[in-house]
Order: sequence, then C-alpha cells, then structure tokens
Amino acid sequence: MPFAITKMIDLDSMDYLVDVEAPEIVERFHPGQFVMLMTRKEGERIPMSVMKAENGKLTMFIRKLGKTSKELRDGITHFENVIGPLGHGIKEKAYGNVVVVSDAVCGQAENYAICEALSKIEGNTITSIQTFPSEKEIYPEEYLAKALADQHIITTEDGSFGEAGNYITVLQKMIDRGEKIDFVFGGGKLPTIKAVSTVLAKNNIDNLFTTRQMMVDGSGMCGACRLYIDGKMKLVCVDGPMFDSRKVDWDKAIKRYNMFKKKEKEANDYYEAHKGGSK
Amino acid sequence: MPKIKPRVPIGKQSPMERITNFDSVLYGYTEDQAVEEASRCIQCKKPKCEPACPVTIGIKEMNLLIAQRKFKEAYLLVKEDNAFPACSGRVCPQEKQCEGACILEKFGQPVAIGRLEAFIADWGRTHEVEIDEIKANNEDKHIAIVGSGPAGLACAAECRKYGYAVTIYETLHKPGGVLIYGIPEFRLPKAIVEKEIEHLKEMGVKIELNHTVGQNIYYYELVSQNDAVFLAMGAGAPKFMGIPGENPMDNVYSSNEFLIRANLMKAYRFPEWDTPINCGNKVAVIGAGNVAMDAARTARRLGADEVHIIYRRTRELAPARKEELQHALEEGIIFHERVAPVRFHGDDDGFIDYMELVRMELVEDEDGNISPEPIEGSTFYMECDTVIEALGTVPNRLFLDRAPDIKRDERGVIIVDENYMTSVEGTFAGGDASSGAATVIKAMGEGKKAARAIHAYISMHDTSHRQKVQKVEV
Repeated sequence: MPFAITKMIDLDSMDYLVDVEAPEIVERFHPGQFVMLMTRKEGERIPMSVMKAENGKLTMFIRKLGKTSKELRDGITHFENVIGPLGHGIKEKAYGNVVVVSDAVCGQAENYAICEALSKIEGNTITSIQTFPSEKEIYPEEYLAKALADQHIITTEDGSFGEAGNYITVLQKMIDRGEKIDFVFGGGKLPTIKAVSTVLAKNNIDNLFTTRQMMVDGSGMCGACRLYIDGKMKLVCVDGPMFDSRKVDWDKAIKRYNMFKKKEKEANDYYEAHKGGSK
Repeated sequence: MPKIKPRVPIGKQSPMERITNFDSVLYGYTEDQAVEEASRCIQCKKPKCEPACPVTIGIKEMNLLIAQRKFKEAYLLVKEDNAFPACSGRVCPQEKQCEGACILEKFGQPVAIGRLEAFIADWGRTHEVEIDEIKANNEDKHIAIVGSGPAGLACAAECRKYGYAVTIYETLHKPGGVLIYGIPEFRLPKAIVEKEIEHLKEMGVKIELNHTVGQNIYYYELVSQNDAVFLAMGAGAPKFMGIPGENPMDNVYSSNEFLIRANLMKAYRFPEWDTPINCGNKVAVIGAGNVAMDAARTARRLGADEVHIIYRRTRELAPARKEELQHALEEGIIFHERVAPVRFHGDDDGFIDYMELVRMELVEDEDGNISPEPIEGSTFYMECDTVIEALGTVPNRLFLDRAPDIKRDERGVIIVDENYMTSVEGTFAGGDASSGAATVIKAMGEGKKAARAIHAYISMHDTSHRQKVQKVEV
C-alpha cells in the first residue's frame, strides 16, 4: 500500500516540503514523535521529523542532499512505506516561558510542531528561534513557526538577515538580559546542540533536544541508535528521540551519526549513475 | 538387524563457491534421492520420532508416502500439522528432535527427516498443490496475534483452521519475524518463507504490517476488540556485553542489527538496495550460538577475509547446531575457545580498532555447574575492524512497558499457565516472549498448542464482555 505524495514544494532553500497521505499515522501522532520512510521497496528505513500532521497528511521537510531528495527531484509520486508514529511525543502542558530552537531541516519541522502544540495550551509563552545559513535559505513565512510563537526570531549564520549567528547567540542574550526561561526544546545540527548544552547546563535550564541517530528498525530491535545517557544505555528510537541535552555524550553521538558517511556517498553516486535505468 | 544403508548424501555448494554468494548452501533432494532416503525408514510400530517433534508431524507416514512416490499426499499430510514445513525442514535442530530419536541413530545414521520435510514442502510449493478450503466458520470471533514470527504464524494457521477471524500485527514492513530478518538467505531463502506466508493469507489470515503494539496501536485496544489475544512478539531486543569502550563503538553491532541490515534490508545488495552495512576484513563475532554462526557466515559472504568466533567455553559446548558450526568451519571461520573480550579500543574516528581479551578456564562448582572464569594475567589483544555481539536477546520492553497487566518475570519474560494463558484472562502468550530465546520450531509448537487452548477458551467462555486492562499509551 504505497503512500501518495500529495504536495512537493521546492522551498527555494536547502530543503523540500513534502505532504504525504498517511491518515492512520496522523490520527495517532504527537509532536516530538517521528516516522520512518521507505521511498521504494529496496529503500532504507529513514527516520524523519514531522512538521504537521493534519487532514490525513503528514508534512515533512527533506534536505536536498541525500538520495531521498534526488528521488523527489526526479518525480517519485509516492513512498513505498511510511511507518509510525515512533518514539515519545513531548508532554503537552503548560511550561511557562518556553524557547524552541532549530537550525536544520528536521529541527525546523519539530520547531513548528512543538510551537503549534504548546501555543494551544494556556500558560505557555513561546519564543521560537530559527536559524538558517543565510537569507536565501529562509523558508517562506507560512512554513516558519512565526504565527504560532509569541516571539519569533530568525538568525542567519552569515548575518545576511536578522540576528547574526545561530540560535545560541539569541538564547545567550536572553539569558544575559535576565529573561526567565523555564524550558527549551530544540533540534537540528548535533554540534550546535553540543554547544548549547553547555549553556543550558551552566544556567541550569531544563530542556529536551532531538538526538538524531541512524536507525534500522526503529522499534528497539537492532540497537543501532544506542547512546549512553547518564551512563545508561538508551535507544533513541524507543526511549527518545528527545533527551536532556546536558546528559548526552555529544562527541560520541556526532561521530556515530557519521558512521555510514562513505556509504551514503556511494549510494548517491550509484543513484546518479543508474537513475531511470532498470526500474 | 540388517545392515543399515548410509544416508543419501545431499548436494551442496562447495565452501569456496558459497562464500561468494548468498544462495542456499544445500541444493535439496531430488525426487529419486528423497524416495531412496525415505525408504530407509523402517516404519517402527511405535515411532519415536513423532513425539520428539514439537509440532508432531506424522513423520512415519510422510516417509512411507514419499517412498511410495505419493508426493502430493505426503505434502498435504505435513501441511496439516505444520503450515511452515519448508522453513522448519531447513532450520530445525533435527539432531536433538526427530532425528535424535530415530531408531536408526543407534545403528548408524538416522533418517534425514529434516531434508525430507524440506523436500516435500518444496515439491508441494513448486507443484502448486492446493490446500482444502477451511470449512469451520467462527468468523464472528476475532483473534489478534502480536508478532508474525514463528509462534504467531503457527498460532494464526491453527486458529484459522478452527474458523476464527485472525489478524496478525507486525512491527516490520515484512512478515515472518526471525525467519525474515534473522536467518540468512543462504540457510533459508526468503522467497520460500514469503510463499509459505502467502499460503497463510490465502487461508484468510490478515496481516497488518507496520503495527507496533505498544507504540502505534495499544494492547488495551486489542483486548477491547478481540475475543482472544496471542502475544508472540518474541525476544527481540539485543543484549550487549557492557564492557569498557562499548559506549557505543562504531562498527560494533548487535547480531540483530548486522543480520537485519543484511537479511531484511538486503544490505548485501548495496548500493542497488539502499541500506548500507560496514563489514571490514577482520571480523570478530562474540558468542557461538546459531545466530553467531549466521552472523559469521554472513560477514564472510560480505567479503571479510578473516572471521573469528570468540567464545568463553570450548567448541564442544558451543550452543550452535553441529551442522551449522561445521559449515562455518568449512567456510574458513576461525574458532577461538575459552576467550572473552574485556575492552574495546577505537581509533580516532570512533571505529573499533582492536579488542583486549582474556583467556578463560572452565571451573566446576560444588553442584557440578561449569562456568568460565578469567585466568589472571592472560590478557592479549586482537586487531579487528568489525565486531558483532551475538549474545542472545531479551524481550523488547516497548510492549511490556505499555501492558502493565501482563505479569512477567524479572527478565521480562511473560508468565503463562499450562494453557499458555497470561495473567489477563483471554490473553495468551507463546514462543520466545514467554519462554525466553529458544528455537523456531519450539516457538511454532507453542503457537500451535496455544491455538488449541484459545479454541477451548473461546468455546467454553462468553467472550463478548471484554477484559478490562489499563490504558497505557506512549
């Protein structure tokens, strides 16, 4: 039972936006959870964050980098499989002053989903900070968390728009100004999370960050996504995907995330050489 | 006693040939070979082989029918007792079951029952023999089965024969459990497993893929919608040694991960298939069970020059089937006995570089239990670029955490009574989920017996008022 792709927009950024029909998953989805995609029968099970789950459709951002995005570029009309929802969602409750941060494709999806969920709950004042490399990669406004947050801040790494730097710069300024921050949610590039984790630790701020790791089954069978958190083995797929950033060994997580880098290149090269071939 | 003829030998790929491919090692008997082998059966008045079979196949009659070239009848006979003979014929530890009990064992070689079972299953499949339609109709009664591994499949087949509406919920995108994700192609070709599962669907069993009970569908929902529930989710979570340097080291896999990548995701066909696997040239497999042999032989086929089995005890005590161990050794796999890793050492990029090991001695305690103990000062090192930990598996807590009404022991193994019923009335369990990690055929046997218990339960109870269990969600 293939899953129809009902919308694909080139965000004129580094990413595509994709809508896929998956009513069963939408019905049970909670923000913070993830899904897995298989683009084709021979495909890999790829963990993906979800921006929106409504009207029977899942909305996701897909980075124009790996093989999946090339398949999208080349016009696939459906995914062979969408699996989920997987992992734990966030607790949808009043946190007080919440800051939601992100600086990469999946993180941007989570930023939107978390802002949307928490904005519906009284007692949350939300600041959303979204970082992009430069002005030209910023998503169109409707795909940002702008309308969902009480305060929305865009930063660019090269300073070409908004605040210069990444979300840590803004967060640090908020802390320096003595603003009260009760909770931080975030996701995106692991090195940035590593850096922000020391800021959060120093200021004793509770937080949950999406810990991206490679996965195979996504249900606790293979152990590929295992990490040691506070000295105990945890599986990102069933115990996560979000953890207190202060407790994760980020150096290990970052190295491990790159375990198949060479193979990814090989898969990409093979696809470019064979596309439109036997299939 | 007349002189016993030796077994009819079976064709196999030579070791040097087979390590270059993932095709079946064994070719299987031809019709003539099968007839000759089945004729070796002396048709005991009281056959010892049948009670030794966990699914009690009519082995004596199967042998007779094959010897008489009544292949279709033999196929139907076997299928009646076992919906998955092509699988069990290939992966059962026959030497500990039917063949171990065969009277000819005492006089030489037992009848090759496993090979005959596989032969007749293959014959029926390739000749497209049709199975009689199910006559019983109890489709107003619904049975939910959690997991499509051996226990779930066997239970589904049997429940369907009683006429119930049966739905299996499977986490992965393909049904079959360990038959699909764990046991390699060269030992159990996937097309064969798929065909036997196809038969089950033709019988009317529904299989819902991508459904993880406890994650995207809940136990309490199954209880509220079904007359009985059978828990057969196996023991799916890997164990790790927990030694220093493991935290986690790259290119150190659980056997589950290594085999799921290779089998379910067909990483051996990368990059034609998308899932990658890093398998280096010098591979160490920790453990000496069947899964360890599967992982070691898979690594060899993925191109590893050297594959080492690292085992705490002696080769004689290895839990793997003798035949599998023999196949592994023929393929050049090196067996190290009485050694155990104590630390992993990685390179600057976080990949495994070498292992620190100690030698072990086997010490007998007062009760006669033999356990391996490290020998002081025996530390040595072994270079390796890939490690596979094949230490067995434990129940996956994903389900258990969200079904608190189901009582289990401290290992997470579900506790059942003599009728396979759990602490919740109407919920049954079998296979590795309730007996800890065991064999495919033991799980099938339990699935089949549990189906009978479920049938008795539904027949004797009013199941229309559903049991009440706690609603626990993610």
